[in-house]
Amino acid sequence: MILVQEEDFHVDALYKRLLKANETGAVAMFVGLVRQFSDLPNEACQFELEHYPGMTERNLQTIVDEANARWPLLDVCVVHRVGRLSVDDQIVFVGVSAAHRAEAFQACDFIMDYLKSRAAFWKKESQGANSHWVEANDRDEVSLARWKP
Amino acid sequence: MSKVRVVFFASLKERIGQSEYVVETTLPLSIGDLKHLLARQLSQGSALLEKGIQSSIDFEFARDSDTVTELVKEVAFFPPVTGG
Repeated sequence: MILVQEEDFHVDALYKRLLKANETGAVAMFVGLVRQFSDLPNEACQFELEHYPGMTERNLQTIVDEANARWPLLDVCVVHRVGRLSVDDQIVFVGVSAAHRAEAFQACDFIMDYLKSRAAFWKKESQGANSHWVEANDRDEVSLARWKP
Repeated sequence: MSKVRVVFFASLKERIGQSEYVVETTLPLSIGDLKHLLARQLSQGSALLEKGIQSSIDFEFARDSDTVTELVKEVAFFPPVTGG
């Protein structure tokens, strides 16, 4: 399941969705959150997440398809929020269920690495009247290199 | 002449001052050539030529060498992605 939405998500409900009766031996989950990015009070910091409707979902599907091709997975669930977010809000959920932990851990890590660099999302941070677009991090590309055959 | 719908996102959209633009041109044309054409036609279009600007053709990531044909519905330009 792949969802791009403004609404918050419930980790417990997503976890239950990933469970396949009699087959699931491992579930790996990752949740990304908005963290404080300045010394200003929390309420002064806002995030805005823009995406490209039509492309973003396709990018995520491509990443999930690649994970399924690399590891024997039972199910994958990716939820990414867009729109206005505040400090401590959940941004992204990636959950993977599999028979064994190794593939669940690896696929979850792989999907997050690719999501950071190959999915059409852009973050804007603002504090009061000041705002700026977050720049891509070189470390994200380095992290991707780990998965190259 | 054919019409190509071009859309912009994030900081590039703000710098160019519009989210979409329809360009009339002769196709096929490479993404790289389309960038240069737009750079000449749009007042802040030179932002498209900066390092790191990425593109897509009909919702798939593209490179400067990829071709925009008559069948293409939408080309997009945007800065490096920063999700997650």
